[in-house]
Amino acid sequence: MSARALVLFAAICLPAMGGVTPQPKTDKEGATSNSSVLRVNSTNQAYDFFRPWTKKAPFSRRGLGTLIEGGRILVTAELVANNTFIELEKAATAEKSSATVERVDYECNLAVLRPTDPAFIAGMKPMALDDGVRIGDRATVLQLEPNGEIAQTLGTVTSIAVGAYPLDNMGLLLFRLSAPMQQRDGSFTLPAVRDGKLLGLLMRYDARSQTADLISSPVIGHFLAEAGKGNYGGFARAGLAFSATRDPQLRRYIGLNEPGGVYVTDVLTGGPGEKAGLLKGDVILAVDGKAIDQDGNYEDKEFGRIAFSHITNTLSRPGDTLVFRVFREGKTLEIPVKMEPRDRSKIVSESYVVDRVPRYVVLGGVVFMELSRPYLQEWGGDWLKEAPQRLVFYDAFQNELPQDRGKIVFISQILPSQDTIGYEGLDNLVVSKVNGREIRSLDDLAEAVRHPVNGFQKIEIEEDPGVLFLDAAAIEANRDKLVKKYALPALQRL
Amino acid sequence: MFRFLMIAALGAGIAQATPVARSLVRIEATSQEPDYKAPWNPGEVSGGVGAGFIIGGNRIMTNAHVVSNAKFLTVSKEGNPKPRPARVLFIAHDCDLALLTVDESGFFKGTTPLELGGIPAIESVVSVYGYPIGGSRLSVTQGIVSRIDFQTYTHSGMDSHLTVQIDAAINPGNSGGPVMQGGKVVGVAFQGYSGDVAQNVGYMIPTPVIRRFLKDVEDGHYDRYVDLALSYQTLFNPAARAALGLKDDDLGVLVGSVYGGGSSDGIVRPGDVLTAIDGLPISGDATIPMDDDSVPLAEVVERKFKGDEVSLDVVRDGKPAKLKIPLSDPWPFNLHSNVYDEDPRFVVFGGLIFQPVDQNFMTAHEPEDLRLRYMFDFFIEDKIYKDHPEIVVLSGILADPVNAYANDFRHAIVDEINGTKIKRLADVAAEFAKPADYYVIKMAGAGRPVVLERKAVEEARQRILSRYAVTREQNL
Repeated sequence: MSARALVLFAAICLPAMGGVTPQPKTDKEGATSNSSVLRVNSTNQAYDFFRPWTKKAPFSRRGLGTLIEGGRILVTAELVANNTFIELEKAATAEKSSATVERVDYECNLAVLRPTDPAFIAGMKPMALDDGVRIGDRATVLQLEPNGEIAQTLGTVTSIAVGAYPLDNMGLLLFRLSAPMQQRDGSFTLPAVRDGKLLGLLMRYDARSQTADLISSPVIGHFLAEAGKGNYGGFARAGLAFSATRDPQLRRYIGLNEPGGVYVTDVLTGGPGEKAGLLKGDVILAVDGKAIDQDGNYEDKEFGRIAFSHITNTLSRPGDTLVFRVFREGKTLEIPVKMEPRDRSKIVSESYVVDRVPRYVVLGGVVFMELSRPYLQEWGGDWLKEAPQRLVFYDAFQNELPQDRGKIVFISQILPSQDTIGYEGLDNLVVSKVNGREIRSLDDLAEAVRHPVNGFQKIEIEEDPGVLFLDAAAIEANRDKLVKKYALPALQRL
Repeated sequence: MFRFLMIAALGAGIAQATPVARSLVRIEATSQEPDYKAPWNPGEVSGGVGAGFIIGGNRIMTNAHVVSNAKFLTVSKEGNPKPRPARVLFIAHDCDLALLTVDESGFFKGTTPLELGGIPAIESVVSVYGYPIGGSRLSVTQGIVSRIDFQTYTHSGMDSHLTVQIDAAINPGNSGGPVMQGGKVVGVAFQGYSGDVAQNVGYMIPTPVIRRFLKDVEDGHYDRYVDLALSYQTLFNPAARAALGLKDDDLGVLVGSVYGGGSSDGIVRPGDVLTAIDGLPISGDATIPMDDDSVPLAEVVERKFKGDEVSLDVVRDGKPAKLKIPLSDPWPFNLHSNVYDEDPRFVVFGGLIFQPVDQNFMTAHEPEDLRLRYMFDFFIEDKIYKDHPEIVVLSGILADPVNAYANDFRHAIVDEINGTKIKRLADVAAEFAKPADYYVIKMAGAGRPVVLERKAVEEARQRILSRYAVTREQNL
């Protein structure tokens, strides 16, 4: 919702900075932290969206986990995304043991791990959360030296603001720390501490400006509170987009005499805002009794002026009701909004697909998939321009599609075979119907291909070439040959 | 080096070179490229050199790109370097040809008009005449015909026509020069590749294209090419052939899309199988037999004119049918063509610049905005032209207090002004001309409206015009 751009630098790419002044080996943070942090080595293996039946080569990410109450270890979700094996390692003794993910939330980029052997962490001390952070406070980022010693970098909290978290671009509270950090292996997750308490987890670092973005303690607190419940609710959001109302001409035109307020530009279909009756063009004046200024900020009693999405996304819990005071056509209304997390099953094109197989169906060599952003991101950093443009636009404007559009099913490629002669080179074509049936998911497709018409599979495409036919009986007859030739582990995964 | 080549050519075939020298002209053009970022400006002046040759009727044939956007033209005859002012009679940007004349009496005296020949055979030798890299004396190169095929004509960037590929070097300055064989013109040299892409690949416009241009302008007006305005795919897949009720004879192509507003709209349907065009059978690879050769089926339409008819044999729902199609302009495809000899169109209001999007705009602005790129790229396929015959965009902002908060809307597409749907640039001018207290501009997609108060716009008007040296507030 906040359009603020953030420099994105994965924390793993801390560049070498030769000749950096040596850090003090121990001080009060080191002594207390050594008994609360563990090295976490995660071996991860992502699926190849160009060949959704295969996994890419495994790679490992290393970070520092923090022991928290209940014998669990807190890390960033990115550290363990698509993990195949997680290993815990004691900093001082290099003893190793394994762990599993107990709860992970990619929206807030946090995960808690559970050691396989509870005895492994015996004698270690859980760390509490520091919830009293203010701008200007000093904090220490912990890293591990190769010899197991804790290295510390002292930094200053320079700003506290709502910013985009990776993977889902959700707007959540960030602490920005100015700290001159060194290149070290295993810096994917790093705890930032103060007086033996955890104030945040480092999730990205910009070496040029020497600033680190931390997942903030209020976000961690929310995640842990939800993770402690039997029914994980996650983070709610109002499902609104808005823009500032600084332009006096706009304010006069809509007759807005209040000092603040933001103009609602979009209401997510099926989201809490829509369900409560908020409309495009409404001006949000206050949320939960807090006045909203022209830029969408409110005065937080702890953090000062920050975006009001902190109230909706972090301070409120799923199921809570927040009262929105809105200005609409000259009148002021109080609208209660029941906060809910995003229903991810309704998302047309997922912003992330992790820890699960990308869905696909292969029919006689024609490969069908459902559109997701990770597919487009296979084209690399410039995917917005390099990836197939129609699919890029479907992803970008998915909120404008009709409510019942469902998933975007498309032909990702053709595996050339006897049955696909003449279709070689066709790729990235959006499917509208198969055998006369509307296709709104791969499940629809799997069902439709069970009903060939006059012995043919008729695949209708939204763009050229318009229609493809396959011989249903020939596909069946050639099935084993295709599976063998292209080493497909399965003809479909749904 | 050039002199050596020329002497060699004269020595080798003096009987052939002499008449060409008497018909060849060197064209110098002073042109002005419009400025799509400050569209009221006359644009940057540049000069260029090309070649041309005299044909009957005191006319000079050259490439359109030699004389595009020209403000002043001179031609000089080979061996008589005095430049004489010339003017454009006809220009065809879609096939990169132009006809010039010189009004000064006596200019054509002593010149020999060149005659047009046929399509040269593959492997036969041709000679290219012109002024490569700007020299002032005739240069001749020789090569053989390598390939005859359809190619995109880069001048418009969108049209493709029959093209002959030769292995003689074609360099800047060769453009517009004749390619000769047996004393007759067999083509006009027009484009090639830079050496780091492909070596010894040059292209010429063959005589069917030249003759079509000459015939089109006989009525005193150039009408452009006509087009079927549909897409088709090859039909090699046996299952597809069987499903469509076709014989296993490798004939026919399947219609994918029929574009609205084009010649075939309402006559041909997606899913029809085209089996013959004007009686010529269409092979599964979309070619037809013509002139003892196999050429793309489009060649039939290529040789026709606006208002002509073409007949199609189709198989529709398994049954044969005959269709007659009256041929017309390829609108809305023209959106993706480069535009020449036209001043950019725009409206300036409250310091906001509004422009219709076309290929020139996209080239000049290289917009990142996804919605704008979508509407431009899929203008035809997704029938964007139905709601937006012109895509009007807020293209720039002349910063002033009146528009201090409009910065986020650069490259946004104008959807409505004061409740009126904006279909063309003229609609923008019309809405701003109506008296209103507020001008409320709604952009496509989510976003707040841009609001301008009339009083504020009026106060700012002279200030903006003089501060930014805006000499013209609109060109519709």
